Amino acid sequence: MSSHLKTWPLSLFLGIVSFPLVLMYVYLVIDTITVTPPGSIIPEKFTLEDWRFLFEEATGRRPSIWSVTLNSFILASANSIVIVSISATAGYALSRLNVPFRSFFLAGMMVLHAFPTVTLIVSIFLILQMVGLYNTLIGVILVKASLLMPFGVWIMKGFYDTVPWEIEMAGVQDGASRFTVWRRLVLPQVQPGFLALGVFAFLDGWSEFILPQVLAPSSDVQVLSVYLAGLIADEFYFDFGLFKAVGLFYSVPVILLYLFFQDKLMNIYGGGSKG
Amino acid sequence: MRIVLDAVTKQFGAVKAIDDVTLEIVDGELLALLGPSGCGKTTTLFAICGIHRIDSGRILFGDLEVSGLPPQRRSVGVVFQSFALYPHMSVSENIGFPLQVRKESKAEIERKVDEVADLVHIRELLERRPAQLSGGQQQRVAIARAIVRRPDILLLDEPLANLDAKLRLEMRSELRRLQKETGITAVIVTHDQVEAMSMSDRIVIMDDGRILQIGTPDEMYHRPSNKFVAGFIGNPPISFADGKVEDGRFVTEGLDFDLPDRIKKASVTAGQNITLGVRPEYLQPDFATPIEAEITFIENQGREALYDLTLAGGHVFRSIQSGEPICKLGDKIRWGIDADASFFFDDQGKRI
Amino acid sequence: MRHQSDRLGLAFLTPALIFVVLFFLSPVVLTAVFSFTTMSTATGISGGTYRITPSAVRSAAEKGLNPATAERLSQERYTIDDDALTRATKAGIDAEILKELERDLKGKSTDDRRSFERLLKKLDNRPNRRQVKSISPHFRTSILNQSFEDRTTLDATLENLGLDAAERARVAETSYTGWIWTSANFRRMFLQPDTYRILINTIVYVFTTLVIFNTGYAMVLAIVTFYLPGRQATVYRTIWFLPRITPPVIYVLLWKWLAWDTGFISTITGWFGVASRNWMLDTSLNAWVFVVLINGFVGASMGMIIFSSAIKTIPESLFHASAVDGAYRWQQVRHIILPQLRWPILFLTTYQTLSLLSSFELIFLATNGGPGSATEVWSLAAFHLALSNYAGNLQYGLGAAFALILVLIGITASLFYLRLFKFSEMISKPRIEH
Ligand SMILES: Nc1ncnc2c1ncn2[C@@H]1O[C@H](COP(=O)(O)OP(=O)(O)O)[C@@H](O)[C@H]1O
Ligand SMILES: [Mg+2]
Repeated sequence: MSSHLKTWPLSLFLGIVSFPLVLMYVYLVIDTITVTPPGSIIPEKFTLEDWRFLFEEATGRRPSIWSVTLNSFILASANSIVIVSISATAGYALSRLNVPFRSFFLAGMMVLHAFPTVTLIVSIFLILQMVGLYNTLIGVILVKASLLMPFGVWIMKGFYDTVPWEIEMAGVQDGASRFTVWRRLVLPQVQPGFLALGVFAFLDGWSEFILPQVLAPSSDVQVLSVYLAGLIADEFYFDFGLFKAVGLFYSVPVILLYLFFQDKLMNIYGGGSKG
Repeated sequence: MRIVLDAVTKQFGAVKAIDDVTLEIVDGELLALLGPSGCGKTTTLFAICGIHRIDSGRILFGDLEVSGLPPQRRSVGVVFQSFALYPHMSVSENIGFPLQVRKESKAEIERKVDEVADLVHIRELLERRPAQLSGGQQQRVAIARAIVRRPDILLLDEPLANLDAKLRLEMRSELRRLQKETGITAVIVTHDQVEAMSMSDRIVIMDDGRILQIGTPDEMYHRPSNKFVAGFIGNPPISFADGKVEDGRFVTEGLDFDLPDRIKKASVTAGQNITLGVRPEYLQPDFATPIEAEITFIENQGREALYDLTLAGGHVFRSIQSGEPICKLGDKIRWGIDADASFFFDDQGKRI
Repeated sequence: MRHQSDRLGLAFLTPALIFVVLFFLSPVVLTAVFSFTTMSTATGISGGTYRITPSAVRSAAEKGLNPATAERLSQERYTIDDDALTRATKAGIDAEILKELERDLKGKSTDDRRSFERLLKKLDNRPNRRQVKSISPHFRTSILNQSFEDRTTLDATLENLGLDAAERARVAETSYTGWIWTSANFRRMFLQPDTYRILINTIVYVFTTLVIFNTGYAMVLAIVTFYLPGRQATVYRTIWFLPRITPPVIYVLLWKWLAWDTGFISTITGWFGVASRNWMLDTSLNAWVFVVLINGFVGASMGMIIFSSAIKTIPESLFHASAVDGAYRWQQVRHIILPQLRWPILFLTTYQTLSLLSSFELIFLATNGGPGSATEVWSLAAFHLALSNYAGNLQYGLGAAFALILVLIGITASLFYLRLFKFSEMISKPRIEH
């Protein structure tokens, strides 16, 4: 755009303001594989010492990293699966089917979707205690998925809205039931949407901190975020190298998924609030 | 199969998309629904195939009332304006889909798909995806999919609108051939009168949700029931001039002639507002009723020439004559119209 | 047949509705319910028991229980009953003495130790002083520090002690350990001075972050990357998107690495002889700077995306036209780009005000409201009160009352969206009608 205008001052400006951010991320990697003497910022030598946590057994104080990772993975995938499969049907109903009180439901989803969910944490905590799902992964998954559900339904509805009506009309004209039309003709058209929403929900579950911290803190159901936060809060164990190694380990799936699905994710995050 | 629409009305909120439409489609004919865009053609089509629920009236297939039946239970094949091919399926899967949902056997499906593919000449395209087809090919696939299960009736919504000019001509005769070969009852929607005139057995002209006239192309052209139909049919179009009846004469600025006997007999009263309509072929240099005008436009089409004549009062008439132009722009001429072959409309627009 | 697609629609919608109703709508309602209770760690969340503690008796007395009755409740009694006899037998007390007690004095009770021991001494078996001393503790009973599972057993016991119905009710009230309905949470919330401190903190935090980063800097990012060549723009957008997708625990860890006393800033300033310190927590002002930066860096990316796509919809020809006019870049921004952003700014401001108001995750991880309670904001206060405080007594009811304020703001704001974004235009009727 506007090639006759100089862009280097803009580039310089962004370079300067972005510097601290870039610095933090660069050192996130550097610090996990090097030793830096105190009072210096230049690494001295290469080491994998910080990654020893990968091979440590569970101790009384801390569960093993692998069981924690598995819990994180279960939470993230379950969140993704539940959100995608349930939004797939609900989004279609709201986009295309004759549902009684349809516009009421639509408005409801829209209201909930703008609703700040963390404000509910106190009563959710009490509810889970009452129904006996406190300190279980299931409880966290159910809550996490429910809170994200209106968002998912709204996003999915947005994807369904883009499928031409005439495809569906042709389907029913060819003799297929609405269900068959949905499964055989419409679902294949919104697959990219599924993928995007699925990845989004996975990352959302993977990154979640407050819910598991409050609802499932005990060590056998701990997830990575809670594990890492516990590590950092532990006064006897102060080691940025280790924190960052665990942190990097924790963020690898995020970075990979982000690199693969960058455009789609940006769309969801950006359009997230209007479907 | 014979299809009857009996006083069918369909509303979208406050808009009456079709209003009290009564129509009989004869078995085996090709009927054209003609009208300007937004007049309710697609709505009529969707009412017949069951996508829209009608608000009042009845729709009969043969003797069976189908008004309450969903599309799946009416035997109607539809070719949509956008063709609506399923993009994730190959051509043969597209065509086989209606059979597949009826749980027909694989061999049977394959046989029927091949048969219909031969009929519409797309045998060699069966393995392709819709995105790899040209517009005309997509059109043929859409038709094949609509007729593969031998429906009672075939509906086509503006089938030629999305094709380029050359293909449009080719598909016109192709569609006609298919309809003749299969003997299927068909309704074709179009806003192009040439298309309707050249393809169909009968034409239904609609405007603003209502049927204005039903008839053969010939009737439409020579006996339009009102001004709208007369203006809509015919290319180049008819010319109109508003005037008054005085002493059995048609009078307007720059034109004054004796009304034909049939008009006089039809009880026109003196001072009545009346509109004259003259088709371009009924305005020729040597016709009886004289008309004096200036040539304000000439279009030489090679085989024939088109003239715009502007009268002293500002009325413009059109004339079409075979051969090269016989005069120049700006010439003052004195030609004539055939008053007997001209139309006269009353102030409601009805032909007298 | 007519309702085939209606039924399918309901079936398709039901799973989502179940989830949403159970874990989304019911928490909304229950937040309101809980805020009217005294629930806390002490009361538990299920029902409680009746425990006649000294403080329960004292507060019953304060509430008008007859002092003599209160005295009686606190007193010990000596009663010869089956329970006591069994206890004594188990403890190896002389069987002859117990047999005699059971035969002659069963059911008798005295108000103090001396008269009980006088009774013992009069027995035919003539227990000696030492025996008397060892026997009497087994017959001592006191309602004090006893628990009663339900009201009926409590009432029965109190009736034995001669309390009338009104007195019993009073004791029951003060000795109940479970939660009860109350509106005291709201009174406390409005009366305690901390609340206003928290309120001001919240307003400052939301306003500053919103203006500087979520809209201001986001707009700068969107406009600057718009003018940069494609590749560079993508790189910068990616960089500024990182804070949003990085899990919050790691993201805050990076800031801690920057700010803590062994961190990057301290190292650099150390070269110039500045003593190392925790820059994030050493003064309130620093804490605020970091809180705003940490939240702002995340918030900026959403605005960046929304503004960028809004700018992209401006027809290219407008820019060329103005370039020919000799308009400078600033003029382009002012007259072409900014007017286009009016609507997105409105949207973003309303939306992010809400998210900033309610989100406390990053502050919790970074400063946890410190130093002192300098960066304690409303949502964090609710969280602290109800779910995470060092005093150990989690006040669910009070926390819920704080949360309820946010819930109400949330509902109001969401309804506002509905109007703002012309909901009715978004719904079109299904076009297949059968
Ligand atoms: N689904 C609908 N909702 C509301 N109005 C509609 C709908 N479909 C058509 N209409 C209106 O009904 C009228 C007829 O439309 P249509 O049948 O599509 O016209 P045509 O096919 O002749 O161009 C138009 O005024 C159109 O705006
Ligand atoms: Mg149409």
